[in-house]
Amino acid sequence: MPVWLREYSWRQTASAVYLSLPLRGVRVTPANIFCTDQYLKVSIPPFLFEAILYAPIDDTNSTAKIGNGIIFFTLYKKEVAMWDSLTLANANKENLQYLRENAVLKAHEKAKEETEAKKVTKQEHKKYALEATMKLEEAERKRIEDLKERERQRVTKELELWKKQQKDAEKQKRVQKEVELHQEVEQLKEKKKEKMNKTRIPNEGTSKTRLKPTKGCHGSYSMFSENLKEEQLPAPRSAATIKINFTSRVFPTALRESRIAEEEEWLCKQAEARRTVSADLSELEDLKEEEKNPDWLKDKGNKMFATGNYLAAVNAYNLAVRLNNKLPLLYLNRAACHLKLRNLHKAIEDSSKALELLTPPVPDNENARVKAYVRRGTAFCQLELYTEGLQDYEAALKIDPKNKTIEKDAEKIRHLIQGTTQDS
Amino acid sequence: MSSGGPERPQLVAHVQQALSYTLFDCKWVPRSARLLCLGSAARGTGLIQLYELRGGRLALLREIEKAKPIKCGTFGATSLQQRYLATGDFGGNLNIWNLEAPEIPVYSVKGHKEIINSIDGVGGLGIGEGAPEIVTGSRDGTVKVWDPRQKDTPVANMEPVEGESKRDCWTVAFGNAYNQEERVVCAGYDNGDIKLFDLKTMSLRWETNIKNGVCSVEFDRKDVNMNKLVATSLEGKFHVFDMRTQHPTKGFASVTEKAQKSTIWQVRHLPQNRDIFMTSGGAGSLHLWKYEYPAQRSKKDSEGAEMGVAGSVSLLQNVTLSTQPISSLDWSPDKKGLCVCGAFDQTVRVLIVTKLNKV
Repeated sequence: MPVWLREYSWRQTASAVYLSLPLRGVRVTPANIFCTDQYLKVSIPPFLFEAILYAPIDDTNSTAKIGNGIIFFTLYKKEVAMWDSLTLANANKENLQYLRENAVLKAHEKAKEETEAKKVTKQEHKKYALEATMKLEEAERKRIEDLKERERQRVTKELELWKKQQKDAEKQKRVQKEVELHQEVEQLKEKKKEKMNKTRIPNEGTSKTRLKPTKGCHGSYSMFSENLKEEQLPAPRSAATIKINFTSRVFPTALRESRIAEEEEWLCKQAEARRTVSADLSELEDLKEEEKNPDWLKDKGNKMFATGNYLAAVNAYNLAVRLNNKLPLLYLNRAACHLKLRNLHKAIEDSSKALELLTPPVPDNENARVKAYVRRGTAFCQLELYTEGLQDYEAALKIDPKNKTIEKDAEKIRHLIQGTTQDS
Repeated sequence: MSSGGPERPQLVAHVQQALSYTLFDCKWVPRSARLLCLGSAARGTGLIQLYELRGGRLALLREIEKAKPIKCGTFGATSLQQRYLATGDFGGNLNIWNLEAPEIPVYSVKGHKEIINSIDGVGGLGIGEGAPEIVTGSRDGTVKVWDPRQKDTPVANMEPVEGESKRDCWTVAFGNAYNQEERVVCAGYDNGDIKLFDLKTMSLRWETNIKNGVCSVEFDRKDVNMNKLVATSLEGKFHVFDMRTQHPTKGFASVTEKAQKSTIWQVRHLPQNRDIFMTSGGAGSLHLWKYEYPAQRSKKDSEGAEMGVAGSVSLLQNVTLSTQPISSLDWSPDKKGLCVCGAFDQTVRVLIVTKLNKV
């Protein structure tokens, strides 16, 4: 139950009402005061003061002074009149309720309107600020543009002036040339007059050339000058050739074409291959020292291949592979032997193994790869697996496009394939 | 956008002209306000267009169409009266044209098997002494020097040794032509090789490798004792070599600058001041540089041999004109600060560089 505050005193003038409300022992803040145009409430729990005003007041301009234990209201009347009393006399409960709610609603609306108005003013301020900045920037830009334009015009004027000067200089030169040419022609004329039997035609001819100030004259005059100049120029240089070498491609390569990573990999692999010796010592004890060296065995194998002893070559390569199965060239050469021996499946196997070992593909192992593809291709063709053979030949061609034999063989295989498809 | 204080040179775009063909090279016609644009039309023929700078625009005076697209041209080897244009085209032909009568070339030779990437001339235009000569560098890896008075065979041929795989030659330049006998040719290749050939002794005088393909080389002056050489390359780097002192093993001293993130397509020195040069980049930008000499240009190394000391390079100004690479650049030899540049966005632009007197 709120405690109603009924001790208040008030006085009025024609336009204002002065109300003082004593509040002892409580702290008052502006939030405790609620005022609309016909309702005034002060609520500081548990105290409550409420007044339904006699006539409407201007609540925006009215003030409340919060002093020591007292609130002093200055309420400005909407209509200038004297009030009989501060509050409306006959207010029953319902009326009171209704008025209270109304008041609250009105206050809300007012608050809303105020916020709206604030928003609108804020927007306008922002717009204004933006426009002002834009104007400033425009002005700056224009200033720079003007500077540039002025500069441009100045230079254009200079250019035009200079061009005019050039033209005048040219005209001068031309006039001079004409005069000189005229003199020359005069001399010629005199010389011709000296010779007895000259008709008018050459004279007219010469006079025509004199009248036409075109490159005809130019040409002849400059020919004279050219002749003089040619005597001063040295003879053309005697032809010679300088041979040059380009920086080799392993390292450093042109960075944009760099295959450094791949080439490193290949070199590492090679180094490793040299080192591995997958030896099975027990069986090889009775071999001579040199026979344990895969390279020596490879060379032996090559020699035997050259003499046509293919089985022996295969043996040599087999032993070498047992010692070191990471050398691609061993498999490559063994594949060649198998081809000759018509062990086609073995040839294919060996070429495939060689190709496996020849990754990554770098220019260093180009030759080896071409050979591997060709040998495998041949083996496929001899097994009548022409499409696989053609694939290998084309791979070989891709690496080495200039090799005519591979091209011819590829063509032959293509024809064969087409022939068989037509038949079937 | 030009930036910087009031005293720095400004690069002002004066005129811009859109073209209907791909522009490869643009050159000023000496002693005139005219410029030439060389390029390739859409149907695969070559075009030469002659423009004149009139007021604030370029007026087309002449258009000449040729069978093969034209890659590069130079006035370097003709006299001032004749002003013949030497061009290299996509088919490897070197032609010299009289622009007044362009139907038949004055000199023509199928110099190379592949496109001529770069051409330079010396001995003409009243600059330098000695016979007028033209050098061409081509994708077939050879560099050939031609004399317009000698038909069909070059007077010097720099080609790879038998069996050597060839590298494209991307750029050539003449230099050191200070008397009748001396002359050098500098050539840059796509694998980063720079080679200096001495034509008097017909030998290779110096070579080096700058790792990235060399897009453009130029001496600061063709007609003086070799002073400086600028070589630009891919990946935004350029090197300035001091050519006055050659060390027997270390060659020439150089300073390297990494300017732009993209390829530097061209370098051109200002004809009126040999310490100022402009580089054009793959991002459509132009940079104006100044070279400062060191206190002492040469010093003795530990064995007592002379070696050069490189100076320093400072950026004066830069501007971005286009989104496509600016592939060609030429300063006007007659008006200081006037230059033309051609970009792959099919526009030719004339620029004015201001305040060069105060640099």
